[in-house]
Amino acid sequence: MEENKNNQITKKDLRRVFLHSLTIMCSWNYERQMHMGFMYGMAPVLDKLYKNDEKRKKEAYQRHMEFFNCTPQMTPFIMGLAASMEEQNANSEEGEFQTESISMIKTSLMGPFAGIGDSFFQGTLRIITFGIGLSFAQQGSILGPILAVGLFAIPSLLAAYYATFLGYNSGNKYLAKLYQEGLMDRVMHFASIVGLAVIGGMVASMVNITTPLQFQTGGTQLVLQEMLDTIFPKLLPLVFTLGIYTLIQKKVNTNVLLIGIIVTGLITSAIGIL
Amino acid sequence: MLIEAILLGLVGVIGVIDSRLIGRQNIGRPLILSSLAGLVLGDLTKGITLGASLELISMGFVSIGAAGPPNMQFGSIIATAFAILSGASTEEALTIAIPVAVAGEFLSIIMRMVIAQFSHIADRAIEDGKYKKAIHIHLWWSFIFNALVYFIPIFLTIYLGADLVASLVEQIPEVITNGLTVAGNLLSALGFAMLLSSMLSKKMFPYFLLGFLLVAYSGLDLIAITLYSGILAFILDRVIYAKKEA
Repeated sequence: MEENKNNQITKKDLRRVFLHSLTIMCSWNYERQMHMGFMYGMAPVLDKLYKNDEKRKKEAYQRHMEFFNCTPQMTPFIMGLAASMEEQNANSEEGEFQTESISMIKTSLMGPFAGIGDSFFQGTLRIITFGIGLSFAQQGSILGPILAVGLFAIPSLLAAYYATFLGYNSGNKYLAKLYQEGLMDRVMHFASIVGLAVIGGMVASMVNITTPLQFQTGGTQLVLQEMLDTIFPKLLPLVFTLGIYTLIQKKVNTNVLLIGIIVTGLITSAIGIL
Repeated sequence: MLIEAILLGLVGVIGVIDSRLIGRQNIGRPLILSSLAGLVLGDLTKGITLGASLELISMGFVSIGAAGPPNMQFGSIIATAFAILSGASTEEALTIAIPVAVAGEFLSIIMRMVIAQFSHIADRAIEDGKYKKAIHIHLWWSFIFNALVYFIPIFLTIYLGADLVASLVEQIPEVITNGLTVAGNLLSALGFAMLLSSMLSKKMFPYFLLGFLLVAYSGLDLIAITLYSGILAFILDRVIYAKKEA
């Protein structure tokens, strides 16, 4: 293995990753959610690691344009981890490092991290700090809004800052070892099982498609959605997601898909199917 | 009213800065935005107390995924402005603000559809090696677009009068508003489908289905799914690799 010590991520780089990570939601959209934010977070690291290798730089940028969604405060950990993997990749010969493992790790971590992060930051910390703020605000005290934001923002920013370093260091410590011992295939198999199960869970919990259709048969009213809920709950989100997946496999242009989906939504809603 | 309308529009932009540029430190919550709206209209105390009431009402609204609640960033700024400028009570201010907040959420849905188009431009920029352009799209195109989507409606509502805008919003046919909600929900399936297209294979399909069925039938959350599938993966790992080692 050719070691190139120029390709080393420094504390300064990781600090920039943290700062960039704060904009993770800037370009949130329906197609790939926080994906451009993740790309921007990784940009300082990628620019440095691949500054002499245009081809791999482009591949790396494209790698981080994949779908991403997580709690903003938890994301820097995943970015730090991904940074340590990119560092290993950059310091290996091309093809030696399985770059798919970077995507796998990202995908399998974002779901559980979002679960923990959302319930801690938005569910617990926000309720506590705004609860304190509210008790002052109800009397018209300026301390209300100041305390609410201050008490939330300080732990939230500190957590995100240290998460960046924690992610990078644990990546360096554990993932490097796994690689050297040739265990990466096993890790990837592990990560892809967890990753796919989590995506399945996200489809069931985050894609919200229901039908208002009702039928009259012999005096009784049949509500289709209620029937579906008893037989196969969340069937519509599953069918719809897999349907789009099939279209993507058939190389249908995503712009066509996007517009097709919007039109489908407007029409099916107008005629009362969805 | 022009100055007030501009200042309140900028309060809306502060909410955008919070969620878009500094990692959502909850400055965009009603308590803070109403206080700021009160501040620019010269009645800070009323802004704070109104903000407290609005915060209580919307405590449970957390925007996750596509199906958004009424957009309380619009709602709280408009309601506070209306209460201070016209002397209305909190309840009266809310009845004006809620339709505006609901309409505001529809604007946000359209905005998130448009930004999906930005993604494609960024894809092409990276393909051409123009990384800086892709970053500008993420940061500045999206931020400025976001800021305008908040500034313009708040500005117009205050400038034209909150009750006029509320009555206009009620004129939007339900077919359109319902249709957009459905379309927004359908679109959230697209992101997952794209993610699957890079990960799913026939061999791996059962694991996807497992996660789906566990949540669909039992309502488990994602942490539980991770733990269960982690254990499953561990067992499979033992079965597959332990044999090879032996």
